[in-house]
Amino acid sequence: MIAASAPFLALRYLLTRRINLLSLFGVLFAVWATLVVDAVFSGFVFEIRNDVRRATPDLLVTDLPAGSDFEPIRAAIASTAGDDVVAIAPRLRHQGLVQPLRSPRFAGRAAMASELDFDAMEGGFALLLGIDPELEPAVVDLPAWLARGDASLAARGIATENSPVLTETDAERRRNWLLPDDVEWRARERTGLPAPARAADHQSQWPGVLLGWRRYGYQRHVRLGDPMELLTAVQADDGTIQARQSRLAFAGYFSTGYKLIDATSVLLPIERLRTLLGHDLADPDSVALVTDVAVRWRAGLSPAAAARRTAQILAAVQAALGPAAAPCTTLDWEQQNQVYLTAIAHEHRMMQVVLFVVMLVAVFVIYATLRMMVVQKWKDIGIVAAIGGSPQQIGLVFLLCGAVVGSLGALLGVAAGLFTATNLNPLNDWLYAQFQLELFPRALFDLPRIPVHIDPDWVVLVAGGALLLALLVSWLPARAAARMNPVQAISYE
Amino acid sequence: MTPPVLSAVAVTKSYQLGKREIPVLRGVDLAIAAGERVALLGASGAGKSTLLHVLGLLDTPSSGEIRYDGAPVQDRSVRERARLRHRHTGFVFQFYHLIPELTALQNVQLARMMGLSVLGYLGQRRRVRDEAAEWLGKVGLQDRLHHRPSELSGGERQRVAIARALITEPRVLLADEPTGNLDSATAQGVVDLLFAIQQERSLALLLVTHDEQLARRCDRLVRMQDGRVVASEPAGGTPAGAEA
Repeated sequence: MIAASAPFLALRYLLTRRINLLSLFGVLFAVWATLVVDAVFSGFVFEIRNDVRRATPDLLVTDLPAGSDFEPIRAAIASTAGDDVVAIAPRLRHQGLVQPLRSPRFAGRAAMASELDFDAMEGGFALLLGIDPELEPAVVDLPAWLARGDASLAARGIATENSPVLTETDAERRRNWLLPDDVEWRARERTGLPAPARAADHQSQWPGVLLGWRRYGYQRHVRLGDPMELLTAVQADDGTIQARQSRLAFAGYFSTGYKLIDATSVLLPIERLRTLLGHDLADPDSVALVTDVAVRWRAGLSPAAAARRTAQILAAVQAALGPAAAPCTTLDWEQQNQVYLTAIAHEHRMMQVVLFVVMLVAVFVIYATLRMMVVQKWKDIGIVAAIGGSPQQIGLVFLLCGAVVGSLGALLGVAAGLFTATNLNPLNDWLYAQFQLELFPRALFDLPRIPVHIDPDWVVLVAGGALLLALLVSWLPARAAARMNPVQAISYE
Repeated sequence: MTPPVLSAVAVTKSYQLGKREIPVLRGVDLAIAAGERVALLGASGAGKSTLLHVLGLLDTPSSGEIRYDGAPVQDRSVRERARLRHRHTGFVFQFYHLIPELTALQNVQLARMMGLSVLGYLGQRRRVRDEAAEWLGKVGLQDRLHHRPSELSGGERQRVAIARALITEPRVLLADEPTGNLDSATAQGVVDLLFAIQQERSLALLLVTHDEQLARRCDRLVRMQDGRVVASEPAGGTPAGAEA
């Protein structure tokens, strides 16, 4: 039974001692800060994971031996996974230098069209990712990548032209990402390269290349259709290293939202990269060279089923490669970005630990206040004992003080935290409009809005944790009060 | 024969001071009947207040028995002793010991609330308040209900303390020098009030005092010296039943 005197006395103590407000605000602030900071951080993590997810196929069969052929691997995957796999696409990775062809019309530049600009070498190096223009859109959202690339540049005030390569109706042209004839003709005109007198007499020849939008800084002169120079090196059959060069047409910027890819990668038709690496497509014995195979699961496939299918696919591909082949690997989308995602998750946990420490400091204020109150209320404790209060009832008075401060602080903190988190963008806009103060500079994070993700479990955990900690730290002074000797308290004035 | 409402049988109490044991009570025997008014006299350090605390179950004896209505209670649990203290005994102290944050009314109410659960209190909130106001009226403080102790005089504070001690309708009143902090005129008024209520409700009253004249108004004088009861004699004053 909780005697009515305990809450009655606790309430009077709380109402008459303003120092309790300090404890209340301490908990309120800690809960508020914990919710708001975590909501923003979770928002960032959510965005990052989405970006990574968008940039990554469901499954990647990788570490394939050099010279692997796509067809037997595709057949092995298709026959093993059945309906669980809806798309399979080849990928060919290589490295090279990609730079705009230097136009003789640029003032102060040498007129050698194919000369590489070693002064701008840093921006020229690129991860070449050869993809099949027909199959790749089925494993990752390529149209969304292009739209996002234009949007990312538009957010910085840079107007771009929409890339037509994915919407090309002619299959053969689409397979090589050939730009419309008049686009390439105008590009030739601009750069002073040979072109017929009329656009109607010209036929596009250069396969398109898509650049990660973060390469824009190095390639600012490029317009749709402008010629790009690709230089790479391959090891010939005799072991010598041979340079290979190819001309491509700039076909647009893409953005996965994943900075690492957007800053380093260029996409080009896989057949052009195969040719560049020395494969004669006209040769019937030529293999459809791949370094990786991207797979897309059917929608709604459970993680457990995907894991089972992955193991089966790995075994089937390994069998297709033959007993002498080195072991290949399968990576789901998280495994493909494991270090990055783990680092972010770890950072998130660390931040939560720091926020927990803030909470500890706040509840320590409750402890200090109550401990002081117990010392000051020594005589009251004796009085309550004399009129029939048991030690438990005496302890309960102080425990209730802590519980009220903790729960009220947690409740108000949750309300303030949720209000702030859900109105963070208007609040940020208002602060900027009124005081030119920006809490979260969006341009810095390359996001149109401050991402906020409120996790209900986290809200419950924070509120419950604050209350539990408040009770825990209140229990210590309450115990001290319960153990006080009432006789000593009432023996003196 | 009705057992005494409160009694001590061979009660000892000693305190540990470092390695030394300090005996404060050395085998005290005392019995108080219902309606009896007993004065406890003795020099400072004789053990009067300690005996009062032990009798009121605020402290435990080192040996011996404390009996309420003939039943030993000293070995009961802490919670049970608190419950008995609440129901059986009322305390009045020299320094009033009111809770400064509470008004006179709330101080008296608090004692009543000690024996009620939260739900029980909510069900009879108004009744408890009225009872407390009634008791304050009985001690002449009907106009001071909402004053805090700091706004009351010494005599008024002691009256609040008396009302607080009596609202639980105890059978024993333990008063530790209730007039020791008051001027003589105020003290006279407080004692008259205390005795009147004691007589009206037939309470057993144990009054610790240094005031021989006040002690003479009781039924019996018990003198203590060095932790022992050295004399127990009729006071020779006005018998409790004859005062009005």
